[in-house]
Amino acid sequence: MVLRALRDALHLRGFLEVPTPVLVPSPALEAGLDAVPAAEAWLRTSPEMALKRVVASGLPRVYELGSCFRAEEVGPWHAREFLLLEWYRVGGSLTALMDDVEALVAAAAAALGRPAPQGWQRRGYGTLFTEATGLDPHTTPAATLSPRDADDLDVALQRRWLEDVEPRLPPACFVTDWPACQAALARVVQVDGRPVARRVEAFLGGVELANGFEELTDAPEQRARFASSARQRQAEGKQPHPVDEAFVEAVGHLPPTAGIALGVDRLVAVLCGWSGIARGRVG
Amino acid sequence: MYNTSDIRNGLKVEIDGAPFTVTYFQFVKPGKGTAFTRTKLKNLLTGNTIERTFRTGEKLPPADVAEHEMQYMYTDANGSHFMNTESYEQVAIQSDVIGDDSVYLLEGMNVNVLFYKGNPVNIDLPYFVELEVTYTEPAVKGNTSQGALKEAETVTGARVMVPLFVETGDVLKVDTRTREYVERVNR
Repeated sequence: MVLRALRDALHLRGFLEVPTPVLVPSPALEAGLDAVPAAEAWLRTSPEMALKRVVASGLPRVYELGSCFRAEEVGPWHAREFLLLEWYRVGGSLTALMDDVEALVAAAAAALGRPAPQGWQRRGYGTLFTEATGLDPHTTPAATLSPRDADDLDVALQRRWLEDVEPRLPPACFVTDWPACQAALARVVQVDGRPVARRVEAFLGGVELANGFEELTDAPEQRARFASSARQRQAEGKQPHPVDEAFVEAVGHLPPTAGIALGVDRLVAVLCGWSGIARGRVG
Repeated sequence: MYNTSDIRNGLKVEIDGAPFTVTYFQFVKPGKGTAFTRTKLKNLLTGNTIERTFRTGEKLPPADVAEHEMQYMYTDANGSHFMNTESYEQVAIQSDVIGDDSVYLLEGMNVNVLFYKGNPVNIDLPYFVELEVTYTEPAVKGNTSQGALKEAETVTGARVMVPLFVETGDVLKVDTRTREYVERVNR
């Protein structure tokens, strides 16, 4: 019922369902993601790279609903295999993605016979961070943010986020405009003279539900981010993710596009008031 | 050194020069970030609870703590004396470590003693102790009001609120966590 409601809502909004391969030559970009190896390749950690190639080939609104796999992630809100809903809209912005998420969450709630979350707030990362910590995340040095993480601004920001900001988020909240060092595959723009990533995260009941970007469309920059991620993985003693050349080339042909991925297991669990996503899955 | 994958309830680690025990932990990972373990930790010296977040791969120094079952012997000017039930080693524990628990210590009682860097820092009493009443007001005939309590003084000096039917010489079962009367024990 929930899956059908999600698909119906996307079809109403003009999206086309596109299945892409689960077995992929490069599993991810981000250094923090670990993939499950299979048949001398990888199980996808998300359909992101494949769907961007579809968008670059000329389809303006596409989505995929399917299983994704991440190793080393086990906990009440993590499983090795989980259901991800990911969609892309050419010409879209973070605002359009947030409108989509609100509509899809309401459709899922209706299918489950649960009340739809009300009062979604749309907040900037910087203001939330400053309200919780008194510090400006875009200018404060790592050593001041978190003395333990003086040599790594990204980790210092993540630690303060997890300790001080995330626990105080409103019950239904979008967080936009992340620090440039946490851009992942988002484009970076200057806001008030500071580089910020055009990235949005949706949180429902304190749980991270969806992550979206105004997508990077610059192939050389995309290649540079693969290289930076590979350096980070090597420094952590992990195998770097291979560069997917077809994907990098497709990024150069992407029109301005916004895309987002939503964890379906988490959506159902939060709407039903469960304390985690575990429900007999092997992961 | 412990790794973040060793974190589980009851793990004892050293933080900022004090021993802590893990009372809660959860794996957290922002979708675009690195993995952390969120924890709640209880300070074994003060009982206060703090929250800490550890990044995967971070090292946690183990706390130099050990727990031994020890038998209470007697108390004198040097403190309360206990004997290790395995090694027969004896230690004197000062009253500030034992605190209010001293009024439940009975000769021959076994307690768990926590040592930090070789020094006793805390004792854990059994949940229930049996104490003889040395004095309580005699029951007043005709007073049958339900739930009424009176004070009883026991052999160790502990004062316990008891039902009206309890008499001097009775043996009481007392819950050391709530410090409340549980029942009268037949001997």
